[in-house]
Amino acid sequence: MSSTSATEEKRLDHVQHHFVDSEQQFESAKMGMWVFIVTEILMFGGLFVAYIVYRSWYPELYLEASTQLNAFWGMVNTFVLIGSSLTVAMAIRSAQLNQIKGLIYNLYITIGLAFTFMVIKYFEYSEKLGKGIAPGEYYTYDGLEHEKANIFFSIYYMMTGLHGVHVTIGIGLMIWLVVKAKKNVFHSEYYTPVEITGLYWHLVDIIWIFLFPLLYLID
Amino acid sequence: MSGHHISSAKFLWGIGIALFFLTFVTVAVTWIQIPEPWNIVVAIGIAVVKALLVVLFFMNLYWDSKFNSLLFIFSLIFFGLMIGITLLDTLFRNDPTPLF
Repeated sequence: MSSTSATEEKRLDHVQHHFVDSEQQFESAKMGMWVFIVTEILMFGGLFVAYIVYRSWYPELYLEASTQLNAFWGMVNTFVLIGSSLTVAMAIRSAQLNQIKGLIYNLYITIGLAFTFMVIKYFEYSEKLGKGIAPGEYYTYDGLEHEKANIFFSIYYMMTGLHGVHVTIGIGLMIWLVVKAKKNVFHSEYYTPVEITGLYWHLVDIIWIFLFPLLYLID
Repeated sequence: MSGHHISSAKFLWGIGIALFFLTFVTVAVTWIQIPEPWNIVVAIGIAVVKALLVVLFFMNLYWDSKFNSLLFIFSLIFFGLMIGITLLDTLFRNDPTPLF
């Protein structure tokens, strides 16, 4: 038993017995993630349909109510999320090149950006809730003339809220990846969790890319 | 594993910078007040281009198995169906104003 064959052994110990080889396992995991992304698109799709239906019914409501949203902070959050997508892509590249330190650093930056996003979101929410801009029947703000102003904010809170839940889950996943990377689980032949978490994170980014102009940039 | 596409750091940064630039553009066009409905068309158009950049080059669909692209395209088709069939109802009601 030479040391190289022991390394070979370790390089392949992630392959589960029901897969032909590492490559097939990787492709299967990735395809499973894409199926999950399909269900995610359709789940958010329901909310986008609600947005479209109510916008077709009350176009003037959307024009008026979106003035309550701060386009500057929306833009900052868009930059933050795109930046985090870039660092996730860099993390995957690091893993592919066996640069585990680079992988961990890129994951740290991604986690930091995700927290930045959630902190900005927290200030946006608390500013609105402080004014009485709450969803549905809890809406008490009287600064808007439209009688259905609460509907816009119900949609706003549902869409950004579900998105925020995804960002929070993403932070948890990234922390899990850092823990695994520190245990030296990942190398250039096995980085499947990094790859599919990356796919998830890019999806979260894409949803925000649509939420930002649809909610913040109407007028 | 020879099949895995590894993007260069330069390329990934290029895509990132394109996304930052398009974000700036989508904000900037609201300053010049494009008339309805073209403001919506422009905003959605830019968002679609950004989403495509992310899907093709960050999520690697460009180099990936075509089956994964097929899954993604089907989700968009069904999303379109969901919008279309719902609007066939809600746009053509006699009394469009619901109680809620």
